[in-house]
Amino acid sequence: MVLKVFFPSCCSSAESGILIGRWISEQNSAVILAVVHFPFIPAQVKQYLSEVQRVTKVSVSVLGSWSNSKQEKEESLSEFLEDLGTIFSHEPWIQISKEGDSNFWSCSTLQKHSNNPKEEEIILVYYDQRKVMLSHLHPPLDTAVSTDHQADDASKLAAIFDTVAKSKILFMTDRYDDGPIKLTHWQSDGVEASIIVELMKQASVPACMLLTFLLSLISGICRSRVLKFWPLSFLWSKLSTCEQLGHRLQHLQVISSDKKAQNQTQLMRKANIFVSLLVDVALGILLMSWLYRKNRIGHLADTLIPVADHVAEELQDLLQWLMGAPAGLKMNRALDQVLGRFFLYHIHLWISYIHLMSPFIEMILWYVGLSACLGLTVALCILSDIIALLTFHIYCFYVYGARLYCLKIYGLSSLWRLFRGKKWNVLRQRVDSCSYDLDQLFIGTLLFTILLFLLPTTALYYLVFTLLRLLVVIVQGLIHLLVDLIDSLPLYSIILRLCRSYRLAAGVKFRVLEQQDGKPLRLLMQINPLSYGSVVQTYRLPTYSCYPKDTWTSLCKKLFLGELIYPWKHKGEKQD
Amino acid sequence: WQKVLYERQPFPDNYVDQRFLEELRKNVHARRYRYRAVVFQSGAVVQQLCSVCVFVVTWWYMDAGMLSPQGLFGAALVSSLLGYVLFDAVDSGAGRRESGRTRWADLKSTLVFAAFTYGFSPVLKTLTESISTDTIYAMSALMLLGHLIFFDYGANAAIVSSTLSLNMAIFASVCLASRLPRSLHAFVMVTFAMQIFALWPMLQKKLKAQTPRCYVGVTVLFALAALAGLATVSSVGAVLFASLLLAISCLCPYCLIRLQQLKDNIHGPWDEAEIKEDLSRFLM
Repeated sequence: MVLKVFFPSCCSSAESGILIGRWISEQNSAVILAVVHFPFIPAQVKQYLSEVQRVTKVSVSVLGSWSNSKQEKEESLSEFLEDLGTIFSHEPWIQISKEGDSNFWSCSTLQKHSNNPKEEEIILVYYDQRKVMLSHLHPPLDTAVSTDHQADDASKLAAIFDTVAKSKILFMTDRYDDGPIKLTHWQSDGVEASIIVELMKQASVPACMLLTFLLSLISGICRSRVLKFWPLSFLWSKLSTCEQLGHRLQHLQVISSDKKAQNQTQLMRKANIFVSLLVDVALGILLMSWLYRKNRIGHLADTLIPVADHVAEELQDLLQWLMGAPAGLKMNRALDQVLGRFFLYHIHLWISYIHLMSPFIEMILWYVGLSACLGLTVALCILSDIIALLTFHIYCFYVYGARLYCLKIYGLSSLWRLFRGKKWNVLRQRVDSCSYDLDQLFIGTLLFTILLFLLPTTALYYLVFTLLRLLVVIVQGLIHLLVDLIDSLPLYSIILRLCRSYRLAAGVKFRVLEQQDGKPLRLLMQINPLSYGSVVQTYRLPTYSCYPKDTWTSLCKKLFLGELIYPWKHKGEKQD
Repeated sequence: WQKVLYERQPFPDNYVDQRFLEELRKNVHARRYRYRAVVFQSGAVVQQLCSVCVFVVTWWYMDAGMLSPQGLFGAALVSSLLGYVLFDAVDSGAGRRESGRTRWADLKSTLVFAAFTYGFSPVLKTLTESISTDTIYAMSALMLLGHLIFFDYGANAAIVSSTLSLNMAIFASVCLASRLPRSLHAFVMVTFAMQIFALWPMLQKKLKAQTPRCYVGVTVLFALAALAGLATVSSVGAVLFASLLLAISCLCPYCLIRLQQLKDNIHGPWDEAEIKEDLSRFLM
C-alpha cells in the first residue's frame, strides 16, 4: 500500500525538527499539522501533545522527523534524527529531509518492529493549511448517482479536512509566544485577527439581548388573545403582509438567539438570514427614498383612482357585451339579463366605494409607504395586498360565477344519473340502479332540462370571470415569486463562494509537482469550489409556502368543476 | 366404452362413440305461438305508437292555435278522473290494497306535479328561445324515438328501462312545450305529456291483465282516434301511420310464426351446464 503524507506547504521552509500530526491507519496516510523545532525537551512535547489531544479530541502524535539543511548533509544530525524515533516511538517513523534549494525531497520510513523492511512507496501531498482549515467540505449531493466507491472517497477526504479543522487550537500559538515548544504552521508568523471583527463580536452580545427583548415583546403582543378572534385571525391569514412580517420576525428570532450555532450548516443559515435581511432592508430604504422624493406618493395616488375607475368601466363594457349575444353564442336571454344586471349593480357599488375612499387614498399610501423601511419584501407584499383589495370586485364576480357554475355542474351530474334511472351509492362508492317514484322522475327531469339549457349562459359568465381572476392571480403570483426569491436566496453563501471560493469545497484535485525515479512523488492538493447551483440548492432558506401546491391537472379539474381556487394566492406555483 | 374420463379405458381421450348423437335434441325451448295471442300482445306497441302520435298531433294543434289550452286541460282533467276511477274499479281496489298507496299520496303527487309545472312554465317558455326550431325538433324526435325503444312492452331484456323511457318522453315534451306561444300552453302541454306517457300506460297494463276483451276494444278505438287526428294534419302521414300499425299488428306476428317454424336449435350433452334446481335451499 502506498503511504501518503499530507504536508502543509507553509512548513516547507521550516527549520529542522519533528513532525507532529495524525496518523490515519485505515488510509495508511499521515496528516502533518506542524513542525516542532529544536531545541525541545521530549517530555514537554509529549505533555503538550496530550493536552492538545484532550482539547481537540484528535489523536495528535509525533509522526517523524524533518530536516531542512541549507548546507551539506550532516551525518550527526541524521543519526540524531533516527535516534529520536526511538524516543517517540511511532510506527512507521517518517523521515523527510529537504536538501539545499533542490526541489527533490528525500523521504523514507523506518519500520523498526516489522520483520520485512521492504521499501514502501511514498506520496507527498502538499496542502494549504489555512484553506483546508477554513473550508467546509460538502458531501456529493446526488447520492443516487454516486457509487459506494465515490462515497468512500469522500469520507476519506472528509477525515483529512476534519483533522485539520479540529486542530485549530494547535495553530493559535505563534513564534512570539513564550512557551517551551516552538511550532511552525500557517499562523506561526502571527495570529490573524481583525479589530473590527473583535469589536463587532463584543458589541453583538448586548445588541442581541436588546433585540431578543424587543422581539419577545412584539411576539407577545401578536400572540395576545385580542388578535386571535375569528374574523381577525382569518384576515391575518389572508393578508400576505402579515405572513411576511411573521416570517421576518422568525428570522430575527433565529439571529438574535443566544444559542451558539452547533454546526456549519446552522452557522451558514444564520449568516444567510442576516445578510438577506440586511439586503432586504437596504433595498426597502432605497425604495422609500425614491418614493418620498418629489411627491411621488401624491402622483401615485392621483393615478390610482382613475386606473380603478377605468378598470370598472372596462368591466361594465364587458358585461354589456356579455348581455348581448357574445361571439354569436346562444344564451338564454332572461338569465343573461338577470346576471348582467346583478353584476352591473355590483360594479356600481364598487365605483361608489372607490369614490368614497378617494380623498383618503393619498394619506393611506403615505403611511403604508413608511413600512418599506421594514424591507423590500414587506413593501412588495403590501403591493400585492393592495392589488387584492382593489380587485375585490373581480374576486366577488369570480366567486359568484364559480358557485353558480359549480351548483349547475353538480346538479346536472346527479340529475343525469336520475335521468338514466341510476343513483350514486355513498356506502359502496359506485353508481347503482334505483327505482324512483313518478313525481321524483318528473321533477328531476324537469330540472335537468332547465339546467341543461341554462348551462351555456352560466358557463360563459364563469369563463370570463375566471380568466379575469387568473390574470390578477398571476400578477400577484409574480410578486410573491419575487418575494420568495429575496427570502430564500442564500446571499452570504453566494458572496462567500464569489470571494473565498475555497470556503465551500466540493472536493479536491491534485496537481503533479515533480516526479522522478527514486524520489517520492510530490502532489499539490487544491480545493475544488462548490458550483453556484449547488450552493443555492444547499443553503436555500425555507420560505413560508402556505399556498396549496396544485398540480396542473388538478388545477384544470378544479377549474372545470367550478371549485374555488384558493383565494388571493398563486396556485400555479412551481416547486423550485 | 363409458363417457367418463376418470377411468382407464382402451380408447384414446378424444374417442367418440356411435351412441354420441343419440342424445341430440332439437328446439327444446322453442315455443309455438298462436297468431291471435301474438296480435293481442302487439297491442302494447301499437298503443305506445298511438300515444306518441296523439301527443305530437295535440302539440301541432296547440302550436297552430286551433286548440285552446283551457279546452285541452279540461278534456285531460276529465279523462284523467275517469281513468282514475276506472283504475280502481277494474280490479275493485285489489291493486291499491296490495301496493298500500293511499289516496292522500295520489293527491299529493298530483299537487306536486301541478305546482312545479305551473311554477316552471314561465321558465320553460323562455328556455329555448335562442335555440333554433330545427334543433328542438330533432332533439324531440330523437327523445321520442328513444322513449319508444326503451319502453317496457313486457319483454324481459336488458335494453328495457322504463325510467329512461319516461324521462326521455318528459324531456321531449319540455322541449316541444317551450316552442308554444304562452306559458299556459307550456303548462298544459307538459301536464298532458305526463298523463299520456306516465298514467295512461299504467291504466293500460291493468286493463290488459284484468279484461283483455275491453283492452282490445280500447286499443282499436285509440288507434282509430290517433289516425283520425293525424288525418286532419296530413293525409299522407295518416296513410303511412295506418300501414305501420297494420304491419306491426298483423304482418309482424305472421312473420314471427312463419319464421318460428324454421327454427333449428340443437341441444345435447355438449351444452354448458345449466342449473335448473332452486338454489335457495343451499343459500340458507
